[in-house]
Amino acid sequence: MSEQIIFKREEDLPYLPITFGSMAWNKTGSWRYLRPRFENKISPCNEGCPAGQDIEGAMVLIGKGKVLQAWDLFKEENPFPAVCGRVCFHPCESSCNRGEFDEAISINALERFMADVASRQGRKPLLRRERREEKVAIVGSGPAGLTCAYHLARLGYGVTVFEALPVLGGMLRVGIPEYRLPKRVLEEEIDQILELEVKAEVNARLGGEFLVKELKEYQAIFLAMGNHRSKSLGIPGEEAEGIMSGVEFLKNVNLGKEMPLGKKVAVIGGGNTAIDAARSALRLGTKPFILYRRTREEMPAFPAEILEAEEEGIEISYLVSPLQVIAENGKVSKLECMKNRLGPPDEDGRRRPVGIKGSNFFVEVDQVIAAIGEEADLSSIPKKLGVKENVILTDERGGTKQKGVFAGGDMIHQPHTVVHAIGSGKRAAIFIDCFLKKEKWDGLFDAVRIGERGSLSMKRYLQDEKDRLPISSQTVRLKDLNLDYFDYKKRKRMSKAQVSKRIGSFEEVNLGFSEETAVEEANRCFNCGVCNLCDNCYILCPDVAILKQGEDASNVIDYEHCKGCGICVEECPRNAMVMEEEIK
Amino acid sequence: MKKIMVGNHAVSWGVMLARAEVIPAYPITPQTTIVEELSVLCADGRLKAKFIPVESEHSAMACCVGASAAGVRTFTATSGQGLALMHEMLHWASGARLPIVMANVNRALGSPWNIWGEQTDSLSQRDTGWLQLYCESNQEVLDTTIQAFKIAEEIHLPVMLNLDAFFLSHTAEPVEIPEQKRVDDFLPRYQPEFRLDPKKPYSFGCLTPPEYFMEFRYKIQQSMLQGKEVSRRVDEEFGQSFGRKYGLIEAYRCDGADLILVTSGAIASTARVVVDALRQKGRKVGMVKVRLFRPFPQEELYAVLRDVEKVAVVDRNVSFGVGGIFAHELNAAFCNEKTRPPIFSYIAGLGGRDVTPQVLNDVVYQTYKRSQPEKHSVWVGMRNGP
Repeated sequence: MSEQIIFKREEDLPYLPITFGSMAWNKTGSWRYLRPRFENKISPCNEGCPAGQDIEGAMVLIGKGKVLQAWDLFKEENPFPAVCGRVCFHPCESSCNRGEFDEAISINALERFMADVASRQGRKPLLRRERREEKVAIVGSGPAGLTCAYHLARLGYGVTVFEALPVLGGMLRVGIPEYRLPKRVLEEEIDQILELEVKAEVNARLGGEFLVKELKEYQAIFLAMGNHRSKSLGIPGEEAEGIMSGVEFLKNVNLGKEMPLGKKVAVIGGGNTAIDAARSALRLGTKPFILYRRTREEMPAFPAEILEAEEEGIEISYLVSPLQVIAENGKVSKLECMKNRLGPPDEDGRRRPVGIKGSNFFVEVDQVIAAIGEEADLSSIPKKLGVKENVILTDERGGTKQKGVFAGGDMIHQPHTVVHAIGSGKRAAIFIDCFLKKEKWDGLFDAVRIGERGSLSMKRYLQDEKDRLPISSQTVRLKDLNLDYFDYKKRKRMSKAQVSKRIGSFEEVNLGFSEETAVEEANRCFNCGVCNLCDNCYILCPDVAILKQGEDASNVIDYEHCKGCGICVEECPRNAMVMEEEIK
Repeated sequence: MKKIMVGNHAVSWGVMLARAEVIPAYPITPQTTIVEELSVLCADGRLKAKFIPVESEHSAMACCVGASAAGVRTFTATSGQGLALMHEMLHWASGARLPIVMANVNRALGSPWNIWGEQTDSLSQRDTGWLQLYCESNQEVLDTTIQAFKIAEEIHLPVMLNLDAFFLSHTAEPVEIPEQKRVDDFLPRYQPEFRLDPKKPYSFGCLTPPEYFMEFRYKIQQSMLQGKEVSRRVDEEFGQSFGRKYGLIEAYRCDGADLILVTSGAIASTARVVVDALRQKGRKVGMVKVRLFRPFPQEELYAVLRDVEKVAVVDRNVSFGVGGIFAHELNAAFCNEKTRPPIFSYIAGLGGRDVTPQVLNDVVYQTYKRSQPEKHSVWVGMRNGP
């Protein structure tokens, strides 16, 4: 307590009521019956990313111009930010709270931006652990397999990847066209994985009952061979020359194999493979068109891709089904088609097409590309692993019925996307590590999960239990934010190559962000549920009870003086604080 | 430079010339265009001030208290109900000795709802420790705004300047705009002795026990009384710098008068016309405009009014159960004097009703006719049509 000053006369007093000493002796914290506390929660983007990337954290870093650190944060979880920044269907953006406010953050474009910067500056991922003796075999070098290889290598294991094709990358390499994902971009990220001393064997198709035996020198196996078999059209005349599956077509294009296509190319289907095939055919100098049996609304392809195909002049005929292939001299010449109308919804909720009698018509074609879906070829998989309806059954860790054998990617029951494949590869790496170290894994999910949708954090997994910050299970929604602190601001979009330059070229269509645009876009982020040191609490606390600890250090609450008024919690724009009853 | 502007913009421009640094404000009819113009001046950079939109007038004044305590020149504006909502913080501002300047556009208080001119809003705040000035013209509004900062900062008390709703606030007149350089010389940067500063922490307005509280109140009273001298001097200095001065009161054609009208605000300009006309007819009528209401210019008024036969006070305000407030103050001020004139109290123009020359002529006529004042204020300009 400061020294007492006694004023004897009115003239001795200052003109205003003011204390010259400190009032800190007055421990007003004892008046409190509610207690504020800093507590970070789950951002919906982080929860929405199946690869478990710390998107919110990366936005903060990009916003400060720390692009390489943001890339490090992503690379901690996912070896493929450059790939995902181009081809991911970005469920993070559809989870983004900003989407309900004005427009979601352009997370996908920012992911690409940081990967491009890291590439230009030659940034490399870091090794995390000392070497371990155990060896792991990975079958399939798609996004699932390579992700698993990357994480296991960083965890210290000797990893060998077996690939049936002559090139690595799986569908990333042979299924996605160059104009969406340039080969050099993919190769650079694959090289970074190989640089972690991951061994790769190409042209190595493992087969039959021998699969598991062939790999008996490995202590664990991860299976991720993907879905490479196309579904057939199932119509008469299908065996004629000039009919090819979408997957096969794209594989040939990606491997640089010449194909006589003619001029008129009919692509059948409405998924991404169909759109990719049509746009690739256009770039090979043909005049492709798409026939789809339902309407645009039911089309499973990404809307942006459909739009780009239309921009390039590819005609899409809706509500059309092929009935039979008519060949001349064994080579396709016409397609007989029928018009449809939409009937009641089928089991996946989309309205089923119903043929209209007497609406038959003929289309002249030189080539037909059938892209109506892919499936796994599980003929080489031993039944004892657990196979049902052409899917390998896995438990919550990604483990099969056989001990030490894990599976992921399109072969297991999960959405068939690149990012889900990556997520399954990471999950397998975590639980293969647990398996090989003979550690218990129950309870681990709660420690490393991000929200309720299956995303796992490698960063948290790698932390010692005592270093892991407690994490709330609450995912922050728009209603949880204090929107008074946010202004409407339009989302930034990447510029695209001109249509005239796209046709006849496999050059990349999307052109990326400039640093200025990226920083501006990242700063639109609400940082839902995570303190970004905006200092609202510090500024608005009437009792000066929020203390700053220096630059970039978390603020702390001075409970000796905090009266528990709750202004800090109420005025936190991002719901990174909670108010609790004071237990005395 | 002369500009045609409404009274509200005269306030805004006065604030700009005074280089206010923080302006927390909440809009209310008929004050809104003051705030609107200030936000424009801040937005386009002509006034380098922090403009803070707040959620209520109570918050506006609370915000002014914070800003002023931080040692910056602070301004806000309000009217009627808004001023009433500020009441608690008005006491705080003066108690904390903060030289905040506020423009109040005089507006009648509801119920019933009314947006037009009446002084009861500001006169209800007469005991809050704020100096109060009442303006007659848009030029006086601009000049008083600048003077107000100088007065406030010298005596560490807040100043409220008042202008009539619509008669001044929304009526355009030519206004001479002083040069910035000369205003800067007249009103230097505000540099208080004590201010909120994290490097030199003080606690303001802390709990003050009975042993000390009374002394702080005494100091306010002393400063308020001193405020009269300071206001006079500031007005004189302003006159020297800019060629215009207004006095604490103004005696208009009072020499040899047997009847003097006492009024304030925009009514004074009508009274001038009435006085001129009556003088031309040989009536010895004069007019006193009261510009400073708090502190009350008791001696100045007595000097002009002591020997006149009759004084007629026209109040655009009412204290229910007493009557016209200026008349009441004047009675109280003169009650201990041996020689004092009879004071006739009239209430006119409430809720924005026009106080026309006919109404003032009626006041003069009735005052001449009566030998002594009625017991209560007489209401004039009432509806009495066929």
